[in-house]
Amino acid sequence: MSEMVIFDRAAVAAHRDRAAARLGRVRPVLDDLASRLLDRLDDTGRVFARALDIGGRGAVTPLLAARGIAVVATDLSPRMVAAGHGDVVADEEFLPFGAACFDLIVAHLSLHWVNDLPGALVQIRRSLKPEGLFLASMPLLGTLGGLRAALIEAEAALTGGAAPRVSPFPELADCAGLLQRAGFALPIAERETIDFDYADPLALLRDLRDAGETNATVARARRMPPRELLAMALASMVMDGRLVVRLDMAVLTGWGS
Amino acid sequence: MTDPAPIDPKLLEVLVCPLTKGPLVYDRANSELISERAGLAFPIRDGIPIMLIDEARKLDA
Repeated sequence: MSEMVIFDRAAVAAHRDRAAARLGRVRPVLDDLASRLLDRLDDTGRVFARALDIGGRGAVTPLLAARGIAVVATDLSPRMVAAGHGDVVADEEFLPFGAACFDLIVAHLSLHWVNDLPGALVQIRRSLKPEGLFLASMPLLGTLGGLRAALIEAEAALTGGAAPRVSPFPELADCAGLLQRAGFALPIAERETIDFDYADPLALLRDLRDAGETNATVARARRMPPRELLAMALASMVMDGRLVVRLDMAVLTGWGS
Repeated sequence: MTDPAPIDPKLLEVLVCPLTKGPLVYDRANSELISERAGLAFPIRDGIPIMLIDEARKLDA
């Protein structure tokens, strides 16, 4: 198992606990992205019977159920599950599922806060039936790139230093390699780019919080950023009164073997 | 005393110990899923299995 600890898993769980009651406002975005991801199922021409939904936050399970698939859904956050978005509280780094239990496993925007991603992928492959499908979406390095750069610049200007305030996302090429190393057959990683248009820069931060997606890196600054920092960074990102934020998303597919 | 919320039998078919991937024994009276190999008992709250190692009760040796 990897010894590298980048993410504070207790913080990830706390962020998702907090998001459990606030998902409503970001629900349309989560649902739309889930729907784009699950379109891939229809491209396969296969019929799936039993699926595992890892961290789908209520966006994935209904779409699978509508296709007549029996679903078991998990979340790291007990409150997220208690709110009806899951059946089991489970840690993606220690999945509690037997071998070859599912013919479909979907991880919709839920693996990017995992420290041991190779280990999680191996466990996912193990729970997949031979010829079952693993389908995942994950933000890539370009995601929130503008925010990352603006925050670093503003913090350097104000304090002379900078702490990581945006998660270190993987690159597309890494994703396909990880799938292959985890033993998936026919691993594919594709890029989908979605731009979000904000009229109010602060709404971006509110949406990230409501989705449970604020920074959980171990090296994050524990104190709140100075107010001038956010104001300066966000102001520098606004062009013609609008703020466009890019989600660079990897769509990963791999088959059981 | 009310009966604890039972766990969905379909879940029991697929759940294993997250640490050892070994079998779990369902202790209905105490609402726990017991992994003897790991020496851990995972709580079931309102019918929801909490399969987190940090939340599990250590069994007496």
